[in-house]
Amino acid sequence: MSSSTLEVTHVTRRYGAGATEVVAVRDVSMTVAPGEIVLIMGPSGSGKTTLLSMLGALLRPSGGTISLNGTPISELPEGRLPKVRLHKFGFVFQDFNLLSSLSALENVAIVAQLAGAGPRRARERARDLLIEFGLGDRLAFLPEKLSGGEKQRVAIARALVNEPPLILADEPTANLDSKIGHEIMRLLRRVAKEQGRSVVIVSHDQRIKEIADRVLWLEDGQFKEMVTMAEDPVCKMAVEREKAADRLEHAGVTYYFCSRGCRKEFEADPARYLLPERTLQGASV
Amino acid sequence: MNRLAIRNLVQSKRVVLISVGGVTLALLLMLTLDAIFTGVERQITAYVDFSGADIWVSQESVRNLHMTTSSLPAGVAERVGEVGGVAEAVPILYLSNMIVTGEDRHLAYVIGLPPDASMGGPWRLAEGRPLSGSGQAIIDRSVAEGSGTSVGDEVEILGRALEVVGLAEGTASLVNSVAFIAAEDFAQLRGGGEAVSFVLVRVAVGAETASEVAARIETEVEGVTALPRAEFAAEERRVVRDMSTDVVTIMNLVGFLIGLAVMALSVYVATLSRRSEFGVLKALGAKTSDLNRVVILQSLLSVGIGFVLAAALTFALSMIIPSLSANLTLRLSAASLLKVAAASVVIAGAAALMPVRQIARLDPAMVFRGK
Repeated sequence: MSSSTLEVTHVTRRYGAGATEVVAVRDVSMTVAPGEIVLIMGPSGSGKTTLLSMLGALLRPSGGTISLNGTPISELPEGRLPKVRLHKFGFVFQDFNLLSSLSALENVAIVAQLAGAGPRRARERARDLLIEFGLGDRLAFLPEKLSGGEKQRVAIARALVNEPPLILADEPTANLDSKIGHEIMRLLRRVAKEQGRSVVIVSHDQRIKEIADRVLWLEDGQFKEMVTMAEDPVCKMAVEREKAADRLEHAGVTYYFCSRGCRKEFEADPARYLLPERTLQGASV
Repeated sequence: MNRLAIRNLVQSKRVVLISVGGVTLALLLMLTLDAIFTGVERQITAYVDFSGADIWVSQESVRNLHMTTSSLPAGVAERVGEVGGVAEAVPILYLSNMIVTGEDRHLAYVIGLPPDASMGGPWRLAEGRPLSGSGQAIIDRSVAEGSGTSVGDEVEILGRALEVVGLAEGTASLVNSVAFIAAEDFAQLRGGGEAVSFVLVRVAVGAETASEVAARIETEVEGVTALPRAEFAAEERRVVRDMSTDVVTIMNLVGFLIGLAVMALSVYVATLSRRSEFGVLKALGAKTSDLNRVVILQSLLSVGIGFVLAAALTFALSMIIPSLSANLTLRLSAASLLKVAAASVVIAGAAALMPVRQIARLDPAMVFRGK
């Protein structure tokens, strides 16, 4: 478990200079708490990829600071960044980006080894993670022999093998069918809620709103509006808090509903819907 | 990362086949050429090595056979024989000339031997008998076979027809052969005169070393150079080597450049084909040095396999070729293996240079741009 927080303060990224200057990200600020899932959406060319690259210490901002657990990673010298990426970030990519010549187990273990784990320890840790993700019978498979969902689960295991406090996912469901996409979303939610890791997802996939705690809309390099998601405690649908059909205060907690019907059902018997996990997901204090 | 390098190699079978195949051929060229020249060097001194002499005495300053003339007064053999530690001294005549068999001409060291010479004659006869008098010659078996000459046939040496009475074994090289005739015939054909070319010396059993006796000969007999057999043979090899160094160097350079070009191209292509994977590793936190290690290891493995294959093939050729051509011997020397191994390491390192630079320039952020 981690208690680290990602803080982005007035971050700007410019490309070129003078007449050819392009501002890809303009004065963006945000905070991601431990265990929180933040979804960044926006049209193509809005600066999502640039922002994600900066969050992952792959690209230096032109201005502003990015801090992780109080360490300003955007100001660290270039030589220290690989170590930061290995230990502080887990990356999940749209195209899975597994190494084609290595087995599922080796794809995960190699990242642990890069972080300094011995070969045996790295393989043990990789094996445990893959078994946990239901890939125990695929350990020796090359990526080409795995399905899209299996590949993405291997990629998530790889992202977690060094136990980073922050997971950065770029379109993690884009190359997956609906069912597998849901599976991956549930897995990411588990990673956040059970392990307390922060998860930042960049995606066009509206379905991911269902698992997100917050949705940020990036346009022309700036956050235009901030959407906070909640789960309707009755029908379990994800609803934007600001656009919820109805809301209700109950025992000091605000609940959001997709319709008046759900609200009425809730009012009739609140205790029926106040299981601990629902309270956590669907309510705000 | 070592595992990744090996797996990348194993997976890219076509690239490995091209790179290992190309390097093997290039290194084979270098090793085979060296082996041929080492073999020729050994063959060219076969007469010196098997003459039976412990010391070669020649005209002052003459230190080898090839492309030299040595002329000593007739009485010098007797004077050498009187030097302490000398058991026996045999004068021989020597000229570099031709054996003419019909239309064919074969370059040969022609040796004139005194009757019943205990040294300087053929050390192994494949057929026929030793020289017993004037008008006779012994030539190398492979020369005879090549020209269809048999024992009893006539060959022309120094302008005179001589009967072939014997065929010697092991007296031919890629360059020339040795022909033996009577000293009497040699002297006549050369226009008379009492001079001899060399005096072959056998050191008395229990006497000093050949070097000590040779030094004494030089002190006590005026106008001669006396060299122990090994030193005389080494001088002979040095002359041959000096004459062929440029050719060997050029061919080695050609082999080196072919190997380098093949390796550089294949390592570059292999790295390029995995550019995005290297980018992923860099994004995940691999240092550039980690990735360089993968590329260099791949290059070293390819060249290493190529080197082992080339050495094995050269060894196989050194076994096979002498049975196909009696005059060609390949000898794989440790020095040659070391030289080519060093060249291989340089090839592997140089081939990895361009990919290493490519990796250094790789932007890890490309993973989010789908490149």
